[in-house]
Amino acid sequence: MFQSLRLSMAWLHTWFGLVLGYVLMICFFFGSLSVFDREIDRWAIPETRFAPQTMPSYDRMLAAIFPRIEPEAEELDAARARVGGPLPAELPVMNWSAYTTHRDPVLALFAEFAVTNNPNDPYDHVHGHVTVDPRSGAVLPHDRLKIGSEFFYPMHYSLHLHWKNLGYWIVGLAALAMLAALVSGVVIHRKLFAELFTFRPAKRTGRSVLDLHNLTGVVALPFHFVFALSGLTIFAAIYLPVGSTMLEPLAMKHAAIAAEARGLAFLPSDEKAPLASVDAMVAEAKRRWAARGMPGEVGFLHVNHVGDRNSHVSIYRAGSDRVALVGQAVHFDGPSGRVLHEEPPQAPASAINDFLTGLHLQHFEHWLLRWLYVLGGLTGCACIATGFLFFVEKRKRRHAAAGRSGARVVDALGVTAVTGMVIAALAILVANRLLPADLPHRGGWEEAAFWGAWLLAFGHAAWRTAALREARIAPAWREQCWAIAALAVLAVVLNAATTGDHLLHTVAAGQWPVAGVDLALLASAALAALAARRLRRRERAVADPAGVAGTTDTATTEAAHA
Amino acid sequence: MPDPGSKALLLLAALAASGAGLGWLALAMDVHWAQVRGAAARSASQVRTLRVLGALALSLSLALCLRADHPTIATLVWVMTLAAGALAVAFALAWRPRALALLVAWLR
Repeated sequence: MFQSLRLSMAWLHTWFGLVLGYVLMICFFFGSLSVFDREIDRWAIPETRFAPQTMPSYDRMLAAIFPRIEPEAEELDAARARVGGPLPAELPVMNWSAYTTHRDPVLALFAEFAVTNNPNDPYDHVHGHVTVDPRSGAVLPHDRLKIGSEFFYPMHYSLHLHWKNLGYWIVGLAALAMLAALVSGVVIHRKLFAELFTFRPAKRTGRSVLDLHNLTGVVALPFHFVFALSGLTIFAAIYLPVGSTMLEPLAMKHAAIAAEARGLAFLPSDEKAPLASVDAMVAEAKRRWAARGMPGEVGFLHVNHVGDRNSHVSIYRAGSDRVALVGQAVHFDGPSGRVLHEEPPQAPASAINDFLTGLHLQHFEHWLLRWLYVLGGLTGCACIATGFLFFVEKRKRRHAAAGRSGARVVDALGVTAVTGMVIAALAILVANRLLPADLPHRGGWEEAAFWGAWLLAFGHAAWRTAALREARIAPAWREQCWAIAALAVLAVVLNAATTGDHLLHTVAAGQWPVAGVDLALLASAALAALAARRLRRRERAVADPAGVAGTTDTATTEAAHA
Repeated sequence: MPDPGSKALLLLAALAASGAGLGWLALAMDVHWAQVRGAAARSASQVRTLRVLGALALSLSLALCLRADHPTIATLVWVMTLAAGALAVAFALAWRPRALALLVAWLR
């Protein structure tokens, strides 16, 4: 089909990169924002702007809050559909859990409820969750959208397309394409090492854009590769669901044997029994961690078979100083409080899996690495965006001459995926500060602002790329850069006006989550304005080649996703 | 584990060592040498010196990362400092090539 390996790889790289590049752009951009998801949550929910807290007392606080958790309404609807009729009036609680990290002021509590009347699935269950203020035990309102951890973060792996998990599948395919694009990119790159540090902004657009594409692709190659790969392994159970389909009986048997081997009951006994002091168990777990030379705080606390004689409590150490999320679990018998099992060091396979998962989900305490991840993610965005620009640059004259619209379509989608996406992300922040505090379904309106803004950006991009018909630079890029600058400044101003937490105050008080978001917004505004001005010069130079020449629009690609 | 203050210093030093190491490796290449020092000639042994210096600085950076953090985190930090350093060197070469002359100020 192709004359050489290089040509076939070039074809693969171009077309898979183009089609799935739009999805990858979303993954990398919202993935980068997810590095600071907790901080964005603090910005979006001003009531939670206080210092991170450790896991509060179970006996004195959590024991009273867990029983108040209700199953989510939409999960109940889905369960009714699975059962094909009404559910029992009361769904029995299966387990409770609490998860916190060194960046969480508020604590998320989770519960699983058994759906007892599904004839096809004896293990059918639904979930519920609440968020509490661990200082007082107050339950926070349910409809305040955590924009960072509940919107941007799921966006980067599910695209918020939940029908039949379609979003997960598209993202998985994109991650696979990313791996293929990286390998094929290395094959078609003629001078990987000789041009490792090469970026020539003064050369013509096609050359300088390709330089930047190669540079950003190669220097962060390990990052790109490992994140695409670990993203796939994290959702391996969705992509290869043998454990819940063909091999479900075997998987269940395995889980049962694994539990028995630890002395943990796999099933409840149906005999009631109260829970011993969990605080005493936490103290014992901490003592054991310290004895192993790794003192730490509780990251994850899990009560299985709630209220049953077979109940057990598992206490996991927070992995703040390690890559793995949590670990070193100690399991206790619920009614007696005695230790059932202390997890030994892991076998290599599960240690590697935990390492890959942990490096991707990054709940460790390391601010430099966090920022380096943002840099890696934005480098990925720059790489993808320059890929689009190069595609258009290479074809626009030919397509304009032939009266074809291919380059224009790609450019319009590129504007939507690059600057349009940033506009949407800023629009949800602006909406968050503008909508009335007591608006019902406030979170839903915030999400509507996000999708609405993105749709508007798409419309604008489709309209303002008409210049491609004459092989000129589309003004859509420049205009959306100005929109980014304006919206980012507006978000900072609105935060100051509605909460009083302006930068002078937050920096002086050391409120870095809020100050950091504000500063990042201002930096994005500055970069977007710079990019817009450069684009203006470029557009004039193209319209009047005799005039100013030799300026660069390469700053655009970076500015666009800062 | 070192205390937070010295940990920050170690990491800062690791970043600097990665940047300098990649800078030296870049300057061992003829095009980049020309960008920084113009037509000034250099000997083959000087090129070798630059390569060795670059490799040593990158190893030093890894050692500093390992001093600062648990090995699992340290390796991630080190790989990412390489990415950051390479970007910094490439952008410096593009926009402020003379700034890299500092790295070879001792070479006549």
